[in-house]
Amino acid sequence: MQNTLVIDLNRCVGCMGCNAACKMTNGVPIGNFWNKVLRIGPTPMYEGAEFPDVEWYYLPVQCQHCADPECVKVCPTQASHKAEDGTVQINKLKCIGCQFCVMACPYGVRYLNAEERVVEKCTLCEQQITQGELPQCVSQCVGLAKWFGDLDEDPSMKSFRGGYNTTLGETVRDFTDADVHTLVDVGNHPSFRYILRGKQWRGKE
Amino acid sequence: MQPQWPLIIFTALIAWSMGIFATQAVLSLLGKGKKIQMPSLLCSFVVMVIGGVAVFFHLQHWERIFNGFGHITSGITQELIALVVVFVFMVVYFIMLRRSEDGFIAKWLSVAVIVVAATTDVVVAHSYMMPSRPAWDTFAWILAVVGNSCAAGPLAIAIISALKSDNSASLGLISVVGTGVNVATTVVYGLSLNGAIAQFDSLDYYFDPTVPTQKMVDVAATSASQSGLLWAGAVLVGAVLPLVMAVLARKTKGTPSVIVSTISLVAVLAGAVILRVVFYNMGFTVLTAF
Repeated sequence: MQNTLVIDLNRCVGCMGCNAACKMTNGVPIGNFWNKVLRIGPTPMYEGAEFPDVEWYYLPVQCQHCADPECVKVCPTQASHKAEDGTVQINKLKCIGCQFCVMACPYGVRYLNAEERVVEKCTLCEQQITQGELPQCVSQCVGLAKWFGDLDEDPSMKSFRGGYNTTLGETVRDFTDADVHTLVDVGNHPSFRYILRGKQWRGKE
Repeated sequence: MQPQWPLIIFTALIAWSMGIFATQAVLSLLGKGKKIQMPSLLCSFVVMVIGGVAVFFHLQHWERIFNGFGHITSGITQELIALVVVFVFMVVYFIMLRRSEDGFIAKWLSVAVIVVAATTDVVVAHSYMMPSRPAWDTFAWILAVVGNSCAAGPLAIAIISALKSDNSASLGLISVVGTGVNVATTVVYGLSLNGAIAQFDSLDYYFDPTVPTQKMVDVAATSASQSGLLWAGAVLVGAVLPLVMAVLARKTKGTPSVIVSTISLVAVLAGAVILRVVFYNMGFTVLTAF
């Protein structure tokens, strides 16, 4: 089982609603972020292109709930662990705050909670998905760009659920395997998938 | 990444401690430096303990280490195991020294101590080799830590030797070799940082909308800003200067003076700390998105 998100970047409008939803639902401290929305670009649409032939896209980034997470390997107390649903979780009662997981994460998505003195990150709203609900960033995505589901059960991702009781299969435009990307992989095998059609994916995979 | 001072002090002091422990084992193997054996052992033990205490200041909840600590793939666990092994060898060394009639330990133990000290350096350095941070994920970093030991160990024992008026130890030559190794390993790590820059993932003009006019990270600019610290601080002051002083002191054909050895040791330790500051400043994640 590998619960994860697939994000249709052609639908993301960069409203940062997911960012605010996460902050409110999980009580993320000021200065800490469990998710962010990056603007990638503007970049030339083709070689030698000049304004206005430019393009950009928005990239929501958070814990990628990797299949082979580096953060879990380096945790001395196994506070960071792979849960049965495939997500990466932190047992705060075991965390000694050594922050080696912060160092080991290729995306820098982990933060030290200065008040509790433990490391935190996106849990995919574990408190909600274990009850059959959606992660808050998914249910509040106004562009219906974020979709939640089990990648092992449905590699096509068509059954992934989004806001308004819809599924990815019935909502998003068709895409090919070439349109599906991941963040740079250094052996951690990120589980998140990003769909981007008609634009050049920036960065390594 | 911001420099983590407790970890910087820990890794520098462990390198120093292992350097002292290994050097005295080399001298014992050569049958030299009888007077310096016990003071050197105590010195390496004290330095290791101070390093161990320093690392606790990095932990936010150190009391929880009694609750399920010991995940074997964790570098911290491996470091702890290595240091416990070193402590056991120090106790055995102490006992054998006390019982020894000629003031030296058995040759097998000398060889074992050299291996254990070098392995501890490797284990400590390896904890930071993470594919997430290209500037750290290089074998050159391990060499740099071992190089620090090679320089700091003989210089510390040279001070003890001078204070004990023990000229039998041939520390002039050992100091030249040790500081020479440190120059080579520090330079190799410095050069490896240039190779690491190519491994960072660039999303081209990517920005954080919460600070829309600011680029997320500029690896090339940071690298340029660190070059002075690296080459002038860690290499010239921390490695080349001690080598030059060791070569000049060697011409006296005896044990280097306390003043020369102390200045050299301070320079080596300062260089080790500076190298670690650069290590952290250049320690970007492969994709710096936060």
